[in-house]
Amino acid sequence: MTGFWPIYRREMLSLWVTPLAWVLLTVFLFLQGLSFYWIVRHLSTLAELSVDSGPLQSYFGQSIFLIISLLLLCPALTMRLFAEEKRSGTIEALMTAPVSATGVVAGKYLAVLTTYVLMWAPTVLYVVILRKTGEVDWPVVGASYLGVLGIGAGYLALGTLMSAMTRSQLVALILTIVFSFGLFIFGIGEYIIDPGPLRQFCAHVSVFTQMDEFSKGIVDLRRIVFYATLIWLPLFVTVRVVDSWRWS
Amino acid sequence: MIEAEHLTKEYGNVLAVSDLSFRVGTGEVVAFLGPNGAGKSTTLRILAGFLGATAGRVRIAGHDIVEESVRARAQIGYLPEATPLYPELRVREYLAFRSRLKRVPRSRRRAALERALALARVEDVADTLILHLSKGYRQRVGLADALIAAPPLLILDEPTIGLDPNQIRDVRKLIRELGEKHTILLSTHILPEVESTCDRAMVIHHGRLLAEGTIDELRTLRKGGGAVLLLRDPERRAAEVLARVGGVAGVAVEENAEGGRQLVRVTVTLEEGRSGADRVIEYAVSALVDQGIAIREVNPGRASLEEVFAQLTRSDGAPLPPGGGGEA
Repeated sequence: MTGFWPIYRREMLSLWVTPLAWVLLTVFLFLQGLSFYWIVRHLSTLAELSVDSGPLQSYFGQSIFLIISLLLLCPALTMRLFAEEKRSGTIEALMTAPVSATGVVAGKYLAVLTTYVLMWAPTVLYVVILRKTGEVDWPVVGASYLGVLGIGAGYLALGTLMSAMTRSQLVALILTIVFSFGLFIFGIGEYIIDPGPLRQFCAHVSVFTQMDEFSKGIVDLRRIVFYATLIWLPLFVTVRVVDSWRWS
Repeated sequence: MIEAEHLTKEYGNVLAVSDLSFRVGTGEVVAFLGPNGAGKSTTLRILAGFLGATAGRVRIAGHDIVEESVRARAQIGYLPEATPLYPELRVREYLAFRSRLKRVPRSRRRAALERALALARVEDVADTLILHLSKGYRQRVGLADALIAAPPLLILDEPTIGLDPNQIRDVRKLIRELGEKHTILLSTHILPEVESTCDRAMVIHHGRLLAEGTIDELRTLRKGGGAVLLLRDPERRAAEVLARVGGVAGVAVEENAEGGRQLVRVTVTLEEGRSGADRVIEYAVSALVDQGIAIREVNPGRASLEEVFAQLTRSDGAPLPPGGGGEA
């Protein structure tokens, strides 16, 4: 992990002194706010609500807005991580310093993950607002944020790998969207494929189904294993890719 | 300090470096000399641990650059050719980042930063965004980065490229000063740089070592011999007079020599393999005096490295044995 802290700090600084993080934050919060507003407005017109379809459940579990904004936010956060350094040549200064590949990858990845968490932080306000007018089911809140963290962390890991494989930020962005969207599409298979192992597989990897479950306060170990894999595998490959630059 | 054995680097089918072996001892200031595209940068990148070699091995202060990469890299201050920097950071922020990355202890970080800023003469832009810096300043910020952890070995890829003449003089002076405490390997295609800063040079061309030795040894490699004369020759008759002297193979006249319009600098080249070169110069001088041309300076045998370099690299793959300049 040699070099982790300096790289983490530098990435955070670079992210937040350039407009990128602020632009993403604005667009992201606008979309989330819109989604939350519509849901609350819609639900306020209903006379009766079932236990599993309160505003939080709808916001985290049943809104396509959430998934779509993640599909755009995560690739945009990770696209520059390695691609920009490779294009501008700063990678040469970085990799000739006494740093390890693990330190470089971990520093960069955790910086975007922190940024991602910071972007979600203001949405806690929604919970505060709901609390003013009614009861809040805290296990639902906890499980939902865990799901959001898991999916985001997985997409960010995927994006980190894509950024390490190209010197073009645009290519990194598109590849990450393609892969994370591909995973999302796989999930739709749950509704269109005949019952069988394939349909089960689709249900297992379906981001939408997973969020639906989390939003009901269900934390399934299989989901945790799935996210851990989605985070670990791309990062492991990224470390190998970064290491391989030193080989012939 | 550096031991490179049989380095080879292929890019696809292109052979950038071919079986290159050399050593750089502790405390030496050595130049890698060669035309553009000779394989200098590739070699330095391999030494700095950025690129892997196709074959061969490198040890930095006894540490293998592949097997003990982090340890080996901790010995090196490397200035890459294009001096890539993060444009969104201020110079001070960038150098602070680099000092942390290079594990300068926290207690010494501030002092190291101020020292690097002062050595590279970038104190006046310490709080400027790198984005707004000129090429010359960026180059020197890169140099400050190479110096910040006070590493025993400095690898500088074209350290004076993009600088104006005053800055070039400053950087050369700095390299000479640094050479007292650090081992330095620099690459350049500018010959006066080698003559003014280095103990020893390695001439590489097409990825192979053509010659190596001290500056004086390399000068003797030059075929034939010659002299450089500074003459007061308002009528410009020197070339004609010199051409008639037996043993003179060529005469090159440089107008606008410093010191006035009447002066010209004349480089006389002698026939190859001719003995008694000094005698030929004596005849040439007396011939000039007979014709009433005044002589201000005579530099016999001090053929510039420039000619040696041209001779070595002009004929592609000339069979000149590496180390032909002596046992360096």
